[in-house]
Amino acid sequence: MEYKAKIRENTQTVTIEPLDENQITTITLGEGARPLKVGVISPHHLYLNLNGRAANVFVARTPEGTWVWSDGRARLVEDANKTVSRSTRRRGPGDTPGEVTPPTPATVVRVLVEVGDEVDKGRPLIVVSAMKMETTLAAPYSGRVKSINAEVGAKVNPGDILVDIEGGEGGREKG
Amino acid sequence: MFSKILVANRGEIAVRIMRTAREMGIAAVAVYSEADEDALHVLSADETVPLGESDPASSYLNIEKIIEAACRTGAEAIHPGYGFLAENPAFAQAVADAGLVFIGPPAGVMARLGDKTEARRLMADSGVPIIPGQTSPESGPARLKIVAEKLGFPVLVKAVAGGGGKGMRVVDRAEDMAEAAEQAASEAKSAFGDGSIYLEKYLDRPRHVEIQILADTQGNAVHLFERECSIQRRHQKIIEETPSPAVDHDLRRRMGEAAVAAAKAAGYVNAGTVEFLLDESGEFYFLEVNTRLQVEHPITEMIAGLDIVRRQLEIAAGQPLPFTQDDLIRRGHAIECRIYAEDPENGFMPSPGRVLYMQDPTGPGVRYENGLYTGFEVPVHYDPILGKLVVWAEDRPAAVARMIRALKECVILGVKTPIEFLIDILSSEPFRSGETHTGFIDSHFAEWRPSAQGDEMAVIGFVADELTGPKETAAAAGGREDIWPSPWQTLGAWDVGR
Repeated sequence: MEYKAKIRENTQTVTIEPLDENQITTITLGEGARPLKVGVISPHHLYLNLNGRAANVFVARTPEGTWVWSDGRARLVEDANKTVSRSTRRRGPGDTPGEVTPPTPATVVRVLVEVGDEVDKGRPLIVVSAMKMETTLAAPYSGRVKSINAEVGAKVNPGDILVDIEGGEGGREKG
Repeated sequence: MFSKILVANRGEIAVRIMRTAREMGIAAVAVYSEADEDALHVLSADETVPLGESDPASSYLNIEKIIEAACRTGAEAIHPGYGFLAENPAFAQAVADAGLVFIGPPAGVMARLGDKTEARRLMADSGVPIIPGQTSPESGPARLKIVAEKLGFPVLVKAVAGGGGKGMRVVDRAEDMAEAAEQAASEAKSAFGDGSIYLEKYLDRPRHVEIQILADTQGNAVHLFERECSIQRRHQKIIEETPSPAVDHDLRRRMGEAAVAAAKAAGYVNAGTVEFLLDESGEFYFLEVNTRLQVEHPITEMIAGLDIVRRQLEIAAGQPLPFTQDDLIRRGHAIECRIYAEDPENGFMPSPGRVLYMQDPTGPGVRYENGLYTGFEVPVHYDPILGKLVVWAEDRPAAVARMIRALKECVILGVKTPIEFLIDILSSEPFRSGETHTGFIDSHFAEWRPSAQGDEMAVIGFVADELTGPKETAAAAGGREDIWPSPWQTLGAWDVGR
């Protein structure tokens, strides 16, 4: 069984054998093949023993990947083999650095421009608020405001394009 | 003593207050918004009253609805917690006018001290040193710019009604003043219901040291020593400790006496905190008085051996303080880490969402207070604080080690938290040597990223879970072969509805 496990931008290839009757398998990554014992304490709690090193690991699956917690460090691990089939997922802020989209679910508190305005790169366009913190979203490139897609009070999510800007001279900068 | 109180707050602080109430045999009434129908503070109360829509103005900031809830349930007193209406004198007055007891200082005292500019005037008159800046509110951008230029940039825009870092902005350049002022005013308006702002000179890298005070209705006032709260991000504390590594016996006595003098000059009653900035030469300047319970009050409880909420309730019921300053001793070292729903990798951006799994740290000297449970949806409408993790140990090194141990046990999955960031701060040499100042994170952790240290075990955990956890459908698995066949593979051809 081979997995391509992705954490942030790093993908690692891992191979693992099916568990034997003693819940022991062989895992291969990085420094070679090592014995791994897997104890399932609960659906969210695994007690692992990697070649003599014991660890309590906590897991939670999401559509984006599996959150894995070990010793105070939480990592979202994606299965890189599956990423292709999820290409229809909503675009997140990381995927669209050139778009005016909130970094987190938020509420629009102020709109600072009007349709037709010429804006320079960096010009504040719209202010959103999440958990009492206001964030100003600025123009990712210079251009003309083509449309404003959210009004004050609207609930918005990452991936929603709040302000559409038509690229000016030089067009949009790709992030 | 009261037989029933209403807690006009939510989350971890509401739960914490209700626990003491229960210990004292006092029934607790929770109020809640639509977003909080299943919140832990609701589940922890003896009675609950819905306030309506989720936005703060319709719920936790709605004075009329909260007082009506207290009257309807027969609560005799209202504890405001921190944030929301806790420092709103109109609320304190409305509570008193309704014939109820406000668990905090009288409205008039709160108004004087809660108005940061008036408090600055009062302190200056009492001989307590204040930070250079305005002593009356100002909102005109043109005038603000002139004052800022006179003080010299950088300056700090602060909310007159502020607290907890809300409605505060550092301004480095004149051209940024207008937007910063508007943002600060808007944030203050939403957080406190008052958008007034003023300017102070921004002091570079001071320590933030505050003194806890208790004052009764008979005119007795004591201080409960200091708390060092210098480790901040966005002007909001994330790690607090007591005693401060920078405060010796003599400085503690002088700051304590200044705080008690300030409390007496203001006619203060109930629990409060006098905040100071301490510079490198050991000079301290009055910052503000927080006329309420602080998030970080537990570290004082740990080293002083008392329950501040219990004292608040006793004082509100008219009882005198049962001790004098000379009776108070401190012992050991306590640290608090605030657990927020936020992403330290991404500018501490709030991270609302559902808690998919959590497990509480326990063991010697550990106290963990939160408003969470597995499955709880952290709402987008309110402050991102999830909980506070507090440890006590015999000395600072032992307390630091204990906090790191407790953070490693503090499992929260589903929302981003700064737990790993906190572990790295506590493990760092500058923190261990006590070099804490308000620029600490910018100086040492501005470019912080999770280390690769946790990655290998995460990959192994992921694969182990894939091996042992529930199997996905072939479609969701993206065509890869499962180890065990699922019904999708074994059922053969079939149609839905046949």
